[in-house]
Amino acid sequence: MMLHQEMARLAKGLVSDPVAGAPDADITLAPTSAEDAASVLGFAAEHSLPVRFWGGGTHQGMGYPVVADILMSTHRMSSIVDWQVDDLTVTVQPGVLIADLEGELQQRRQTAVLQEVPGQSTVGGAVAAGLSGWRRLRYGPTRDRALEVRLATGDGRLIRGGGRLVKNVTGYDLPRLATGSFGSLGLITEMCLKLWPLPPEHAMVPVQDAERALALAYRPLALIETNAGATLYLSGSREELEAQAERVGGDLVSGHRWPQPLVGAVEATLRVPPSAVAQLVEKLRAAGIDFQAAHGVGEIRLVGSLGELAELRDTVEATGGALVIGKIPKGADFDPWGKPPEGIDLQRRVKAAFDPRSVANPGILPGGI
Amino acid sequence: MTLVDDLQAILGPDRVLSHPLELLVYAKDAGVTPGEAVAAVLPETTQEVSACLRVAARHGVPVVARGTGTGLSGGAVPDEPALLVVMTRVDPAWEIDAASRCAWVGAGALNLDVSRGIEGLGMHFAPDPSSQAACTIGGNVGTNAGGPHCLAEGTTVVHVLGVEMVTASGDVVVLGSAAPDPIGLDLRGVVVGSEGTLGIVTRVLVKLTENPPAVRTLLLTFDSLRAAAATVSATIAAGIVPAALEMMDQPMVIAVEAFIHADLPVDAAAVLIAEVVGLDEGVDAEAATIERIAVEQGATSVRVAGDDAERELLWKARKNAFGAVAQAAPNYYLHDTVVPRTALADVVTQIYEIAERFELEMMNVFHAGDGNLHPLVAYDAREPGKAEQVQAAAEEMVRVSVAAGGSLTGEHGIGLEKRDLMGLVFSPVDLDAQARLRDAFDPDGLMNPGKILPRGARCYDYGMSALPESEPS
Ligand SMILES: Cc1cc2nc3c(=O)[nH]c(=O)nc-3n(C[C@H](O)[C@H](O)[C@H](O)COP(=O)(O)OP(=O)(O)OC[C@H]3O[C@@H](n4cnc5c(N)ncnc54)[C@H](O)[C@@H]3O)c2cc1C
Repeated sequence: MMLHQEMARLAKGLVSDPVAGAPDADITLAPTSAEDAASVLGFAAEHSLPVRFWGGGTHQGMGYPVVADILMSTHRMSSIVDWQVDDLTVTVQPGVLIADLEGELQQRRQTAVLQEVPGQSTVGGAVAAGLSGWRRLRYGPTRDRALEVRLATGDGRLIRGGGRLVKNVTGYDLPRLATGSFGSLGLITEMCLKLWPLPPEHAMVPVQDAERALALAYRPLALIETNAGATLYLSGSREELEAQAERVGGDLVSGHRWPQPLVGAVEATLRVPPSAVAQLVEKLRAAGIDFQAAHGVGEIRLVGSLGELAELRDTVEATGGALVIGKIPKGADFDPWGKPPEGIDLQRRVKAAFDPRSVANPGILPGGI
Repeated sequence: MTLVDDLQAILGPDRVLSHPLELLVYAKDAGVTPGEAVAAVLPETTQEVSACLRVAARHGVPVVARGTGTGLSGGAVPDEPALLVVMTRVDPAWEIDAASRCAWVGAGALNLDVSRGIEGLGMHFAPDPSSQAACTIGGNVGTNAGGPHCLAEGTTVVHVLGVEMVTASGDVVVLGSAAPDPIGLDLRGVVVGSEGTLGIVTRVLVKLTENPPAVRTLLLTFDSLRAAAATVSATIAAGIVPAALEMMDQPMVIAVEAFIHADLPVDAAAVLIAEVVGLDEGVDAEAATIERIAVEQGATSVRVAGDDAERELLWKARKNAFGAVAQAAPNYYLHDTVVPRTALADVVTQIYEIAERFELEMMNVFHAGDGNLHPLVAYDAREPGKAEQVQAAAEEMVRVSVAAGGSLTGEHGIGLEKRDLMGLVFSPVDLDAQARLRDAFDPDGLMNPGKILPRGARCYDYGMSALPESEPS
């Protein structure tokens, strides 16, 4: 309570009503600027108060649970800062909704290639969680489009890395490091992303043999297999789409319909070398598990029981991959990450370089970092 | 025991070089600054690299990784007398996973050898620096190398899924994997482009890119540099990201033509080489759009390569441009800055003005599509005061690039050459954060010290107060 009062006094304008869906915290703060976010983090570090970052709340089930005194929401940092239409880059604050950004970009036929599912997801959350969406097979991971990042570090410094340039090797690659860091280094207060032009037309081709279609098609956007079958997602000119359909031997269906998110009590993603997908798909189908597999990428989203996941985890880790929990019942005894990666000491030291007091989403990463 | 004795105990006498004359060859790269080595070793395996690093750490001697030394920013040149670890022989058997489109290759493998080695699979390693016949994959990782075809495909970091690295203490760690998004922080992404300051990379998991079914290569001719630059900006603005979009100015075209004989238009003010790849059904339309844009911007002629031989000749001309100049001038200084693509025409114009003001002989060949400029100054260092003039002009060129929203380097790296300019783009707090990141990998500062970050980059170097560091648990 004392803390609450002290924080409330210091952070006057930043105090916000609790955010829908967020867990209890002593206080919810919603900074309006990077400077505010940094001073709150500086205060938190000084008093060893853990801070949990909150975007749209759609992926808060990932990682080890963070018990925090302060919940920091990005909803008041939601501007598009600088859109260089002719240079194909955009700089945004973290609280911008993906749907809003993509809607805006679409008017000039561009895309940031963020997740296809509309809703509450924020750009900051997607970048911090390292989410890449279905079109990754064609456009690569979000990480490869992170050009510049501003970060309010766990000890309250405001730093910038990278640059608003599509090619740049000036200094260490902090934008890539921040992507997928789950808030463990601090709050992403701004980021610049590389954009892609939207191709003229989109279409799908249902296919029988996913791996065969993958080998025949040239650079499709995605090849996704679910319990209902496999679909090749294409883009390009009409002539290109027709040529691709002919090559893989299937019928063109205009437009794109992406799989709806799988919803269950337990949601997980398998991350495996692409060559392991086909076999896993067989296994999942045989076990009657609901899945969405991205061939050529190696990402398989699924819902299942904890028992099923425990068995899958062994298989997946044997391929050098990971089974990552997206959502799990509270208190369930299941490791959200599984076997920690190599170089865990290095991971710990890198986190400490940005967050020496360990107050920024403490413990969320593999190894409890 | 001396350092050299200890190293010889690991590698035998033949693979440890310590004679000053032998070292002379290794203690420089393709840039302008020489350095000094205490010894050079030629390990063949990861274990040998690790053992050498342990010895160096015990002796407190700094270590510099070196590929083939084609770097242009002094990355592989010791800033203080150091042990050079020459990586060219570290190339164990490759492990190719064709179905996952990736392969583990040795850091010592040459870039072009990797693409040639997987040719039979219909795939290639996308980053294609002009030096690709001579530079190592480890060096590409060190500098995050680019190349003409990195415009659509991205630079080395996009094509490196994992690295096996020996840290300063001699530990071997694998970062990244063939599976997407390995859990934890993306340390692989930080190692790429770290210029050997975080550890020595011994093996690299490279992504393999499918060869395109169709290719069209265009040679566009302009009577002004501005028109060529405007064509680049307009192409990108029109939503086309070609596979490559390279520019050469007239002095460069003349130099290259004399060397390669590719029937280049020597009377043009500038030429663009544009390449589109994709399906047979798509490339012609895209090529036509680029042609239309070029003509709108004032192109005086457009030539489409008629066959593979003509296409290869154009690329040979482009990729041998530096070699052509090296033949003609006793010394050359190759710049590398990067600007937003919308600023290309303006910055190029300013760079010409600078060269003129310093009375320098300058020519340009660059990755225009990325906004990555490479003004090249040919000079004779024996001429009194010339080298200083070249240096002063170089700094001005960097400054105009930065003023236009650009940065210090697009692909050659910071190295020794630009570390003291880092303050132009980063604040002391930014640099301090980078220094802390570096220290997390190499607390004793033994890995390629003096590179990337200017001295005094750490706030605590100045005694500036930051929060006290807690003990990493
Ligand atoms: C004619 C010419 C054309 C060029 N064209 C291009 C171009 O188009 N694009 C481009 O990007 N560059 C280009 N370069 C620059 C150069 O070829 C690249 O920077 C290349 O990546 C360097 O490879 P290398 O093996 O020669 O590395 P080196 O020069 O030996 O080293 C480069 C840096 O990487 C570090 N390093 C080397 N090996 C390792 C390792 N195993 N582990 C960790 N760190 C390591 C070194 O310490 C150093 O900092 C060109 C150079 C020349 C001379």
